[in-house]
Amino acid sequence: MLANVNVLLLDYALGSLKRQGGKSVFILIVLSLLIFLLASVLMIADAIKLELNTTLKTLPQITLQRFVAGKQTNVSLSRVDTILAFNGVERVMPRVWGYYYFKPAGVNFSIVGVDAYEEPYKKRLSELTRTFDLLTLEKEGGMIVGEGVKNVLQENYYSDFFNFITPKGERYPLKIAGVFHSDIALESNDLMLVPKQAAYAIFGMSPEEATDIVVHVNNPVEIPTIVQKITERYPDLRAITQDDLRISYQNIFDYKSGFFLSLFIVCVFAFFIVIYDKASALSSEERREIGILKALGWRMSDIVHVKFYESFVMAFSAFITGFCAALFFVYVLQAPLLRSVFIGYSELKPPFRLPFSVDVKMIVLLFFLSVPVYIAATLIPAWKAACLDADEVMR
Amino acid sequence: MSLTPEIIALLLLDAVFLFFGGIAFVLSARIAWRWRSHETTELQYALHRQSYLVSVIINYIFMLKIPLFAFFIYTCDKLSSIITGAMCASGVVNSVDFGLYLTLFKIVNLYVFGFWLLLNDADMNEEKLPFTRLKFVLFMLFFIPLFAEIGLEIGFFTSLNVSKIVSCCGTLFSAASTSSISLLFSVDEKIWMMIFYGCFALSVAAYGSRSPLASVVSNLLLALFALIALILFFSPYVYELPTHHCPFCLLQKEYFYVGYLLYALLFAGTFYAAAGGVLDLVQKRYTKRFYNLSLFFNTLYVIGISLYPLSYYLRNGVWL
Repeated sequence: MLANVNVLLLDYALGSLKRQGGKSVFILIVLSLLIFLLASVLMIADAIKLELNTTLKTLPQITLQRFVAGKQTNVSLSRVDTILAFNGVERVMPRVWGYYYFKPAGVNFSIVGVDAYEEPYKKRLSELTRTFDLLTLEKEGGMIVGEGVKNVLQENYYSDFFNFITPKGERYPLKIAGVFHSDIALESNDLMLVPKQAAYAIFGMSPEEATDIVVHVNNPVEIPTIVQKITERYPDLRAITQDDLRISYQNIFDYKSGFFLSLFIVCVFAFFIVIYDKASALSSEERREIGILKALGWRMSDIVHVKFYESFVMAFSAFITGFCAALFFVYVLQAPLLRSVFIGYSELKPPFRLPFSVDVKMIVLLFFLSVPVYIAATLIPAWKAACLDADEVMR
Repeated sequence: MSLTPEIIALLLLDAVFLFFGGIAFVLSARIAWRWRSHETTELQYALHRQSYLVSVIINYIFMLKIPLFAFFIYTCDKLSSIITGAMCASGVVNSVDFGLYLTLFKIVNLYVFGFWLLLNDADMNEEKLPFTRLKFVLFMLFFIPLFAEIGLEIGFFTSLNVSKIVSCCGTLFSAASTSSISLLFSVDEKIWMMIFYGCFALSVAAYGSRSPLASVVSNLLLALFALIALILFFSPYVYELPTHHCPFCLLQKEYFYVGYLLYALLFAGTFYAAAGGVLDLVQKRYTKRFYNLSLFFNTLYVIGISLYPLSYYLRNGVWL
């Protein structure tokens, strides 16, 4: 069986790789590159998924959105009290938020209305609002913006205030009262925290309405039951739970990396053919070598073993090289170019760091996608080489 | 159908196996048909070289199949987090009608191809290559389950519906379920436990009697009843939960992936005695090495699995 390692043959295989020189190096580089690309994509996808899942824990347990004719619309505030009366519901908070398109920079700002007398629906948001005095914010007409927003505004010469244009066409100026830094940049880079009444004015919404409603439940196990109760009472409300989001994140990233992988398979196939060809075309030197070995009494199995060791050593070292290069590329260099495939492009691209997430499972997955395919490509050429007859070759 | 990277990896390797398996099948048919070991024609010489290619290919497939089996279960485990209702691999496997057959085929193929490789080894080590025709006829037979497995696996992943609600292992492996496994629950689990230890005693006795046939029979029985006893008697002790009987949850992190170790031991132990025994029956001799290995792994398995109820009893003073 191939499992029993013969150290002498392994040594011979290493020597043979060294003798082939340029050819080995070429294959090693190409294979490493392929594995590097694949590993980078999988690592980026995993890292972003981890980042999103960390964010997920800070998101509300249930978000209720009202849909009319398939489009999301505002919810009446009167529903808040009805929902609060359900058993098991701890807190219900209407939210006023939305996107504001800023044409000169071609970006969307996320505007979130905050109220001094209301506890924010997110822990992180409450940390933010605690550091800034919301009451004075309301009185003086100010807002707190994320770092990305601040930079965009500054580029457009809004250094201390910003003029929102309301749907009625009026100007609504708000002072930039502060800039916040968040350790999870993905969610807060494009954020503008404005007083609630300002948000109503900017969006042109009626004060009896909210964008959506956030529900907090004491016992997380009860979430499905409460969702069922709410949607039975208000069939036009759609409930999104944390679990729904987690599943859709997983699906999106599995889909994205799956999509990439499907394209990658084409590459692998092309590479398979190149390797098959390379491994089949033996130089006269190599043919003579095999002929001599056979004349010396080597069996077919010995030569196949040597060839197997050669390809395993090649594939494995390319695997290690590619994997380490990907580690460096993704976590040290923060994957320039490639990460935009996953994050999408936007002027307010959040400059976040990819959190480190590499586990055994990913290494195993990468291994299965690369090493066996390479070895498979060399199986038949190795056998063909082993079939050479000593007398024919040396004649 | 969802194309996660894991599924793509499995399907890619399936395609490779199918390709090489197909080549091996065609070559085997040729060899089985025209092999004449006493002739010295050009054709026989070519056939001999081709027979070597087939053994290389099967070696390759088998060497990958063992880790891939674990990887398959792991993939199902991972899918269980996105399929509603599934809490471990068993829910995912059972979400498609033939999922259980796929798993069974995978296990059967491991035994069958392992046996083929042992036969191949025995054949190559004999001067006269006495089993060459036999092993290629056998491979043509064994190709059917391999082909079925690959077909089922492709079908499994294409018909896997992420939004379908499936049963979790708590209901699949319970007395209330309507599947065939509920029949086993009607018998007291202590009886299964005793049958399991009985089979182990039988295999030890077979080892003492130095009879290959007894070893094969006792070890096949041991493999079967070890699984049944694991589901019905031992698993509640592993989970420390009297109602939890799932054989897949053992493979999860919460139980320190102990299942991978236990199943590997059980496979190694029963495989060496069963496959080695059949080989000895064919060759009409007795190879002590197989039975030593088998006894070693089986004993390790029995000790490992027995430690769970024992330690539970020592800590809590009651049996579940």
